[in-house]
Amino acid sequence: MERFRHDLHAWLDEHRDELAPDYERPGTLDQHMAQMQRVKSILHAAGWMRYGWPERVGGLGGSPMLRTELGAALAGRDITDPGLFSLIEVLAPTVIDFAPQALAAEMVPRLLSGEEMWCQGFSEPGTGSDLASIHCRATPDGDPATAEQWIINGQKVWTSLAQYSDRCVLLTRTGSPESRHRGITAFFVDMNTPGITVAPLEMINGEHEFAEVFFDDVVVPADRMLGSLHGGWAIAMSILPFERSSCFWQRIAYLYRRLQRLVDVGRDDDRTAEVVGNAFVQLHMLRSRSRVTQHRLASGETLGAETSIDKVLVATAEQSTYDAALRLLPEAIALDDSVAGELWRSEYLYSRAATIYGGTAEVQRNIIARRLLDLGADE
Amino acid sequence: MDAAERALLAETVADALAAAPGVDVVATDRVLAELGWLDMLREETDAAIEIVFRALGSTNCHATLLDDVVTHALALDAGPDIAALLPPFGRWHAPGRIEGERVSADGIMTDRATTAQHVLIVSASSDGLRAASVSADAMSLTAVRGIDPDAHVHGASVDATLDATFDGGSSIDAASWATAVALAQRALAYQIAGASRTMLDLARTHAVERVQFDRPIARFQAVRHRLAEALVATEALDAALISAADEPGPQTAALAKAIAGRTARTVAGHCQQVLAGIGFTTDHAFHRYLKATMLLDGLFGSADNLVLDIGRGLLATRHVPTLIEL
Ligand SMILES: Cc1cc2nc3c(=O)[nH]c(=O)nc-3n(C[C@H](O)[C@H](O)[C@H](O)COP(=O)(O)OP(=O)(O)OC[C@H]3O[C@@H](n4cnc5c(N)ncnc54)[C@H](O)[C@@H]3O)c2cc1C
Repeated sequence: MERFRHDLHAWLDEHRDELAPDYERPGTLDQHMAQMQRVKSILHAAGWMRYGWPERVGGLGGSPMLRTELGAALAGRDITDPGLFSLIEVLAPTVIDFAPQALAAEMVPRLLSGEEMWCQGFSEPGTGSDLASIHCRATPDGDPATAEQWIINGQKVWTSLAQYSDRCVLLTRTGSPESRHRGITAFFVDMNTPGITVAPLEMINGEHEFAEVFFDDVVVPADRMLGSLHGGWAIAMSILPFERSSCFWQRIAYLYRRLQRLVDVGRDDDRTAEVVGNAFVQLHMLRSRSRVTQHRLASGETLGAETSIDKVLVATAEQSTYDAALRLLPEAIALDDSVAGELWRSEYLYSRAATIYGGTAEVQRNIIARRLLDLGADE
Repeated sequence: MDAAERALLAETVADALAAAPGVDVVATDRVLAELGWLDMLREETDAAIEIVFRALGSTNCHATLLDDVVTHALALDAGPDIAALLPPFGRWHAPGRIEGERVSADGIMTDRATTAQHVLIVSASSDGLRAASVSADAMSLTAVRGIDPDAHVHGASVDATLDATFDGGSSIDAASWATAVALAQRALAYQIAGASRTMLDLARTHAVERVQFDRPIARFQAVRHRLAEALVATEALDAALISAADEPGPQTAALAKAIAGRTARTVAGHCQQVLAGIGFTTDHAFHRYLKATMLLDGLFGSADNLVLDIGRGLLATRHVPTLIEL
């Protein structure tokens, strides 16, 4: 691992200019997306983007920690936006584990090489925390066991990067409305299929990073089903281990970078020391925990409910880091229209989502109480 | 020592302490001495401090082993005859000053102050730090009741001539003191981690058993979320302790100790609220753990002082180190 890290950083140093964004910071989302895809294609051609991925999807094998190191290195050097880049971890493992082998072998290299972008269509206007309540319906064209295609109708919302995406990992209702998690099926849907409409939404920081997605008689071939009929819940759950290990490590690398920035510009007084000291302690708790989790994953353990603790720590540390920014640079966040000011403002606002997406803070505490503390059912 | 041996040792120590009369420092010391504490400390330092101090914390037993940890970390021969002068409450600097042949110092001592023959005092002097010893008779001690009377700590000061019987003031480098501080901080953080786990266990048990409004209070989300917060803090401390063991050094140890102090405060706060009236009585064990952790927080650096110092360090170097890697 140390060897890999060393070689990777040497390579990144050597190709610094080629990899650097070719636009002024903070840049637009269009620019971030284009930069990320460009960087992925360079890294894929050089092999780095293939370490830690299975050979059957064009990878070079090895521990998933290799790809974590890559993501963290990119985030730590500000080469790509860490939030955008780490979405790979939310999407690719699902397709590798649940898509027909030939489909995975065809599609995953496109995501890794920057040729394509994908999105995750889970949430709906009526379905957030209670994911088992989704309505977006998939109807078989004929008998469900033999149908050659499925027709999808419904709506998704807050779908990150839908407007940039070529494919979507989509959860649909295939059982009765009351079937909850037993009647959900996942599909891998081409976003250019007729009947799909994407309407970007403006987020609190002014970005249009997520969107509403409407499905109107959208025809999807049966061989695009991920996993089994009514087996979609397992897919939703399978995302957690990678989201909660590799993604987090990349986020952590970026948060250290932002705290470094605060320390660069902070005044040399005790109030500043206390504020940055506090944020650093939170980050160290998170980094320590995340490291243990990734070692468990790498040694073959199955990750489960205990990753809710990682999720709470990541949200807390992220918000602490930007709380520190707000305390030390309140005027920059409120009034500064320079590049640095815009970035702090946008990231401060975005950091409030850390307790919302990927399962809210309250949902994590429910899971911890039920599964880890064994407190039994709640009211 | 492999994982199975560690687990076995942890069980042995926990059983022995559970059987020991918890508030008696002398008895606890004896139990641990019989289990081979000093040999463990010398041969398997990391495992010894982790297992023994965690067990002391979780059973709320008080001992004087911190003296051995400090003495051993300074590469001196630890044993019941040597006590160590600990820094003043909340601090972690060398507690003494040497001028010529005289040593003066101010700090805290465990109950070993009353039985040891010599007291090891690390002192600042004109030519750097020195480890010296004085005869125990020379110390002026004030037995402290304080927040945790069971701990039997003493306020201690001295103004005396260096003791010739024990290497009268050998020079040590600043790094040795930093190493001793780091090991003591880790030991104390393990002890706090053990105590925090027990507080959470007590509150969890209470939540499941206590019935109000015709249902166990564990059904109320407000109660569940408090206990969940307590578990998150406890787990984060354990992770910080793993970092401190895997990448030993002053920074990871200070962080672990700071995180321990915070964790204890978080856990105690939530657990006390869940325990409510029963937890407010001395009939229930909770109060002992609360008080123990309030004292332990002040030994070798309180959370608040450490966080400020860590922050000052970041600003002085203008560098945020990541400290641990995958
Ligand atoms: C930046 C961002 C990006 C996102 N990207 C995607 C994406 O790519 N794909 C996707 O599918 N979704 C995405 N989402 C949606 C996200 O998953 C949901 O917002 C989240 O699951 C919460 O659902 P909700 O917003 O409907 O809130 P609700 O579930 O309605 O919750 C509202 C409040 O009630 C609380 N609450 C709900 N249930 C309970 C309970 N049982 N106990 C206690 N409190 C409870 C919640 O904690 C919250 O505080 C994204 C969201 C954000 C903010």
